Amino acid sequence: MTKQSNDRNPTSRRQFLKLAAPLALSLATPVYAMDLFKALDPKGKNEDVQKAKQAVEGLGSIVQSAKGIDYETEFTIGESLALEGFQRYGLPVEDKKLQDYVNTLGKAVAKNSLRPDIAYYFVVVQSPLYNAFACPGGIVFVSSQLVRSMDDEAELACVLAHEVGHVSHKHALHAIRRAKFFEGVGKIGTISMDSEEGRKYRSMIGDLQSVLFDKGLDKNMEFEADKAGMEFAYRTGYDPRGMIRVLEMLEANKDSATIKGSWFSTHPPVDARLERCRQHLALYRDASAMATVKDRFLDYRKRL
Amino acid sequence: MKIQIQRIIFLAVFFWAVVAIAVAQETLWVTSAEADLKAGRSVSSDTVAELQRGTQLSVEAYESRWYRVSTEDGKTGWVYRGRVSETRPEISEGEKKDEGGGIGGLLGGLGGSSVETDAADSARSIRGLSPEAKAYAEKTGTPKQSRDALDQVLSLSISENAIESFLEKGHVGKYAE
Repeated sequence: MTKQSNDRNPTSRRQFLKLAAPLALSLATPVYAMDLFKALDPKGKNEDVQKAKQAVEGLGSIVQSAKGIDYETEFTIGESLALEGFQRYGLPVEDKKLQDYVNTLGKAVAKNSLRPDIAYYFVVVQSPLYNAFACPGGIVFVSSQLVRSMDDEAELACVLAHEVGHVSHKHALHAIRRAKFFEGVGKIGTISMDSEEGRKYRSMIGDLQSVLFDKGLDKNMEFEADKAGMEFAYRTGYDPRGMIRVLEMLEANKDSATIKGSWFSTHPPVDARLERCRQHLALYRDASAMATVKDRFLDYRKRL
Repeated sequence: MKIQIQRIIFLAVFFWAVVAIAVAQETLWVTSAEADLKAGRSVSSDTVAELQRGTQLSVEAYESRWYRVSTEDGKTGWVYRGRVSETRPEISEGEKKDEGGGIGGLLGGLGGSSVETDAADSARSIRGLSPEAKAYAEKTGTPKQSRDALDQVLSLSISENAIESFLEKGHVGKYAE
């Protein structure tokens, strides 16, 4: 084995040098890596290059698995989860002006997100928990308690943008990409709820509830959504420090808050999030000059 | 000789990196749903063009949160910084376009997006809760209150003009000056 490796060394080294760049690039930009593979071996005759190409394609398909779910299916999964969300967390606050306000703000930040071309819906639900979550496809829940505990519009913009970030990155779909439902047709328009596929679909929604309502997403997804929250709010024109102020508020209230099913149990520890957000803030040198819109927010907060 | 070759390679790589960084810094893409190319550095200036998401722009200057840019087809003007990014956006196909706020959005329209709305999506938008979600609700015995709640959420309409007016009244973003 050792001899074989030594024998292959000169060739391996050359191949490694040839393949290192496209492999490295493939982590960030698989399309460019494929172009480079083509340039290295235009006729597709070099076995090593072709093997490396297949490996990158394989990696890509894993990464792309959640992206491969069509939007129709993604949105229906979101609707199903929203139906469960109302039962778990409460019904919408009955105040059309408040719901309009939160929707207008949410849609404004979503326009500056990574995924501005889908419809987003925002709803404030009557709930004593500090909580917010995003269903796949763009239905975003935020609890009345969380809104009531904020102090300005920039804070709410950052929280809504955090949830839009989850939708933009398709985090929830990544979390359930191995569900049995996706091994079959994996497309909602083609199944009956009474069929075996329908059973798999309901099982998947159960898994998703477990992730979003109890266990929480991967902590790195949450950190990514925090950054997205600051970025989309900033791009819209809001003070990105709103994200930090919300986390500080949560930190101050953690001892008296209900933990189960809230941001405290489904998200990484607040202090770890704060640390990363404070580091990220360095990107926004003019943060203090951005809008906070306190008065308008307080007028709506009074309605809760 | 070997050292000279190494130096040449090092200089070539260094030169390539500098050029790559310079090019990257001078190019921006429209990453928001849309962006107006303005004649001046203000929202009240005339609109030179409505730029689509993904439009590539060359940067000529930056002043007070506005970039002076030129498009590939030769138009020049100012674009608000929140609408652009140094990273080319991914444009997905087949996603439902938010035409001015979901359900009622059929009356609005973002304009400039390259993503098309298909007939099925539009039809579903008018109805609210999708047939598939209704089937799920029936199968799982979802209470009527929850179904009505989702219908209510999906029926809420916010026009594009309402969003702009909202930002203007709050002096947010390009309306801050």
